[in-house]
Amino acid sequence: MSQIFALAIFIIMFALIISDKFERHWVTLGCGLATIILVFGLSMHSMDAFLETMNLKNIFTLNFWYQISANESSSGINWATILFLAGMMIMVEGMAKAGFFRWLCMTIANAVKYKVIPIFITFMIMSFTLAMFIDSITVILFLAAVTVELSQLLKFNPVPMILSEIFCANLGGSATMCGDPPNIIIGTSLGYSFVDFITNTGLIAISSLVVIVFFFYFSYRKELKQENKDVLNIEQPSPGSAITNKREFIISTIIFLIAIVLLITHAQTGLTVAFIGVFIASITLLTAGKEAKDILKHVDYKTLLFFIGLFIVVGGLEQTGILIRVANFIGEISGGNMMIMVAIILWVSAFASAFVDNIPFAATMIPVIKTLASTTGVDLSILSWTLAMGTDIGGSATPIGASANVVGTSIAARQGHPISWKEYCKVSVPATILVILISMVFIFVRYIIL
Amino acid sequence: MEKQCILSIGREFGSGGHLIGKKLSEHYHLPFYDYDLLKNIASEKNLDLKLLESYDERPRNRFLTRTVRGFSNSPEENVARIQFEWLLEKAEKGESFVIVGRCSETVLKENPNMISMFILGDLDKKIERIMERHHVSKEEAKHMIEQMDRKRKTYHNHYCQGKWGDSRNYDISINSSKLGIDKTVDLLIDYIDERKKK
Repeated sequence: MSQIFALAIFIIMFALIISDKFERHWVTLGCGLATIILVFGLSMHSMDAFLETMNLKNIFTLNFWYQISANESSSGINWATILFLAGMMIMVEGMAKAGFFRWLCMTIANAVKYKVIPIFITFMIMSFTLAMFIDSITVILFLAAVTVELSQLLKFNPVPMILSEIFCANLGGSATMCGDPPNIIIGTSLGYSFVDFITNTGLIAISSLVVIVFFFYFSYRKELKQENKDVLNIEQPSPGSAITNKREFIISTIIFLIAIVLLITHAQTGLTVAFIGVFIASITLLTAGKEAKDILKHVDYKTLLFFIGLFIVVGGLEQTGILIRVANFIGEISGGNMMIMVAIILWVSAFASAFVDNIPFAATMIPVIKTLASTTGVDLSILSWTLAMGTDIGGSATPIGASANVVGTSIAARQGHPISWKEYCKVSVPATILVILISMVFIFVRYIIL
Repeated sequence: MEKQCILSIGREFGSGGHLIGKKLSEHYHLPFYDYDLLKNIASEKNLDLKLLESYDERPRNRFLTRTVRGFSNSPEENVARIQFEWLLEKAEKGESFVIVGRCSETVLKENPNMISMFILGDLDKKIERIMERHHVSKEEAKHMIEQMDRKRKTYHNHYCQGKWGDSRNYDISINSSKLGIDKTVDLLIDYIDERKKK
């Protein structure tokens, strides 16, 4: 009975998220509450299952802030992910307020002398690099807006450039532990570090970026004709004008650099991502002074609530043993063959992430791969990198697959460049298939064949 | 300089609302914006008109679009918003015009110089009018009215809190079938002139 309830709630949650009728944080919170009442309460009568899923005790252990052992729990609400995301949101809000992102875009456009093709290539690389450290929504929010602005100035079609930036933001997100929410969840749930990600998914992502830059260039080169080539006579926006407050700009840049250093070295220092999130948020707010209230007001608390609800629903599936069944099923159809297992996880998660939010999908799959690794003896890390690449990259294929896609296409449409599914998928689907193939070959060769 | 005057006209299909709007624009010598609104926007902003028109006044497909942090990637929704913003911009610049549809009574609600009206009609008169204008049978005309009004209602109610055709959303609602088009126009002119005096 509890399994039926947990599964029904999970399916209803997905259906409601897809229908976009209610804000998704209300959907997951509502379904989370239903899980607590119907699954943990009425069916299981288990206070332990409830407490384990709420996972509050974990926050008060030293291991949560300063990692003594690598063993982290995947059960219930992943507070480390939530605290880290909240911290990064606060930092990014401070950076955006000071004009950091616009300044960066304008500096690069200026450096390549406002020529469309060099802007196209450098913006793709910038999108990838920024998305390695900050959320792809923020990256696209600023990049797409500047792209539209430059397109009006230089008279070119901004759509190909925005679509390429979106793809590279998703690709960049897959490179690190903090780039894309599925990676943060995978990393904190299974105890991987920033360096673990960058040396595994990072290498796949960087290799793919090289291919993807060429791919997008050859796909869009005809559409990127610059009508206004007389760049000397246009009113070139000065990068300096993007900075709203010099003091805040310098401080936010320093905080960003501190965050990067802390993330890269967190395996050595033992500081967990939860600690880094809280620390970065604290220094951002302390240095912001009176602006702190305004920064807090702009934090996307809805996404944090969405995560809390989601973790409870997935906790319901985990506690009732449904995910063990899924893991056993994958184990059975692959017949214990690691290549088949990797291929199934990679392609299924890519396909699913192209249509549904990749965050719930990844959160659900983590206990599955954990069980799969323990029952079949397969190395858990290989399955983790496979899941990360599948969920992160699959979302690039369609306009609704990832949040960055929605924001980017929305900015283009608001400026009079609506993008249809056909136009979006024409290049993004083959690009996604290409990167998934690269990932599969990479994983096969590096971890299985060699 | 003459005081700003914006006339917003909502209408039922076949009620003659479009023609009434046209006559009012001629009477007051005001620019007239209807479904050609996108043409103006596209030429002003150098956009692809055909592409914009393909998404105009169409409902959003919930399963193929998503909203993230207030950003919707529905082309239909964005094309609607582009038109709303264009109208707001015109109004803020102090321009006077007649606008038919496009949720204008809600979009321009804050503008004190906007007069909103809703034109309705008796079904038999509306059918007669559509049969004559589109050379269709009675049944076809009835079907067209039902279809168009449903479309306008869905479009309006998606973007506005107030319901389409609800008299509480408009300054004046009038049944054009009772007086006929010309007398309705005369009555509206009297009303507009009185309002302009205030």
